[in-house]
Amino acid sequence: MHGYELIVSVASPGELEGTDLSPYDAVCLGSPYCRRVEGNYAEALDLLPGVVSRLHAAGKRAYVTTPAGPREADLPHVGRLVDAAAAAGADALEIHNMGVLRMLREKGGPVPAHMGAYANVYTHLAAGVMRDAGAVRVRPNAEVSLEEMAILAREAGVEVEVLVHGKIPLGITDRCFLLTEPEESDPKCPPACGEVHWLTSRQWVLKTVGKGVLSGRDMCLLEHLPRLVADGFRVFRIEGLYETAAYRSEIGAVYREALARAFAGGSFALEDRWADAARRHAPRGLCNGYSFGTAGRTYVGTVLQDANSEV
Amino acid sequence: MAELLASGGSMEMVRAAFDNGADAVYVGATGWSRRRAEFEMDDAAIVEAQRYARSAGKILRVAFNTLPASSEVPLFMARTDALYAAGVRDFILTDPGLMMALKNRHPDTILHASVGCTIINIQDALFYKEAGASQVVAECRMGKATMRRIKAEAGVGLEVLVHATTCYTLLGRCTMSSYTKHGHKVDASGKDHFPGSPNRGGLCYRICLTDWDQVGATGEIEASGVELPNRAYFLADDIPYLIDHGVDTIKIQGREYSVPLVGRMVRFYRDLIDACVRDRAGFRMDPWRERMARIVADRDAERRDKTAGLISESLDR
Repeated sequence: MHGYELIVSVASPGELEGTDLSPYDAVCLGSPYCRRVEGNYAEALDLLPGVVSRLHAAGKRAYVTTPAGPREADLPHVGRLVDAAAAAGADALEIHNMGVLRMLREKGGPVPAHMGAYANVYTHLAAGVMRDAGAVRVRPNAEVSLEEMAILAREAGVEVEVLVHGKIPLGITDRCFLLTEPEESDPKCPPACGEVHWLTSRQWVLKTVGKGVLSGRDMCLLEHLPRLVADGFRVFRIEGLYETAAYRSEIGAVYREALARAFAGGSFALEDRWADAARRHAPRGLCNGYSFGTAGRTYVGTVLQDANSEV
Repeated sequence: MAELLASGGSMEMVRAAFDNGADAVYVGATGWSRRRAEFEMDDAAIVEAQRYARSAGKILRVAFNTLPASSEVPLFMARTDALYAAGVRDFILTDPGLMMALKNRHPDTILHASVGCTIINIQDALFYKEAGASQVVAECRMGKATMRRIKAEAGVGLEVLVHATTCYTLLGRCTMSSYTKHGHKVDASGKDHFPGSPNRGGLCYRICLTDWDQVGATGEIEASGVELPNRAYFLADDIPYLIDHGVDTIKIQGREYSVPLVGRMVRFYRDLIDACVRDRAGFRMDPWRERMARIVADRDAERRDKTAGLISESLDR
């Protein structure tokens, strides 16, 4: 054991295939954006026992995400998802919606809750309410700076998860942007969100995944890992949804090595091959501004700033 | 009968809203609501608005519906303490932690869970009820079946926005604006207004409303000038339904609009609701449409200008 946890999110068997999970300690299964994502682990409940068992056998923790914006009609499925995740032995449920957190509590909390990116955790008081409802971990909203996260972690009595790399979740909607017809009849569903679609305007680039808006640039805290370690953070996420297997494998390997060095203490310098991998997998550039209280698309740092035209 | 709640972006707007028939008006405490400071009020103005409301036998609600920093919680407690001491009892909040803290400190406060809570199902409504809210705002696209279920089973008041916008994303769960531009502006009290973040009390630059190109993996343009739909709506046809189903509050959003326009909107809804209640069986919408269309046209013109200004501002360095 190395005293920290590196997590990757993986939506489906299609995303899992070819991904080298060796750098990771835990995998968060499923897409919170859309129930129609092909093979979505949060939807295809019969897949859960097998994948959870395989992850456990490989010495990894298995978390299962839940829909980020469940309407009334989705709640019966959410109930089944909670039961299925518990029966499969999942180590936690990732929850974005307060109603889902309440449902989990009503079921007696058969699985611990991790509050996800869309749970709008901004204050330690909110995190405390969620803790009392069964959450043991929170991922603060993207807008929450590292400085604020440190206060939140200290005051709330829950673990705090930090997104260290990947597209930043910026918004959810329950109408798919990529379809012209209703979901059930549009032949573009479900393949459309498996393809890459950017939204560009002026100097802005976003990534649309149909029912989600992500940052165009990739969040990157690689050169700031020593600070994260010093601040006491121990749970780190690489956002692997809608990325390639090479992305998840190579970025994971970089962070595993970099985290080991950061936790070892002493001098910390970025290896060229780490920086190269970060640049190679970020066709629209890197960013980390939210972590430092600036616009999310900006980059704060001295090593990888060349991967962002606006530093 | 359903309460008509209107926006109060200034003292002048508060008076106009009450004088045109609002039963209640909401105002934002400076730095603590989902609009910029020019549409919010300091404590002295809030107290004045509260007096005006009381003198008319009506209600003033004060919005503290942002998601602040943990370090700002003491500021929140001090500010709400001061307003409580001045007689304010009705608050609109988003953060469930702040809700519980305020309710524990002042049990006789009346808390409403803001539209920023993104309440989209009955379990959400129950969660915020348990956090201390006696009323919840329905997410703008909430279906009637969900509204009915909340009314029938949740034991919590329901508020429906009849004039507002349906953001491209779920309102309260969007950070597209601050992704493009985000800053800090700390006022004399120590409160950061977080310009660029509507969730935190700044403003939304409405970047969804600019023209976007959809671009494929290899850079090919898949669609040009696409919009990320964010439409202002003005519901009138639903009013009889909302009344029939016991919706507690019918809300008109719009602190950023001009005072005369807000006054006309409030008068329209007041007249419409009263006509509907007076003669439910004989009520018809058709006679109202022309008057409504004129208001909507003026509203759209103001919104267009405002949106262009916000997008332009988002590009300033």
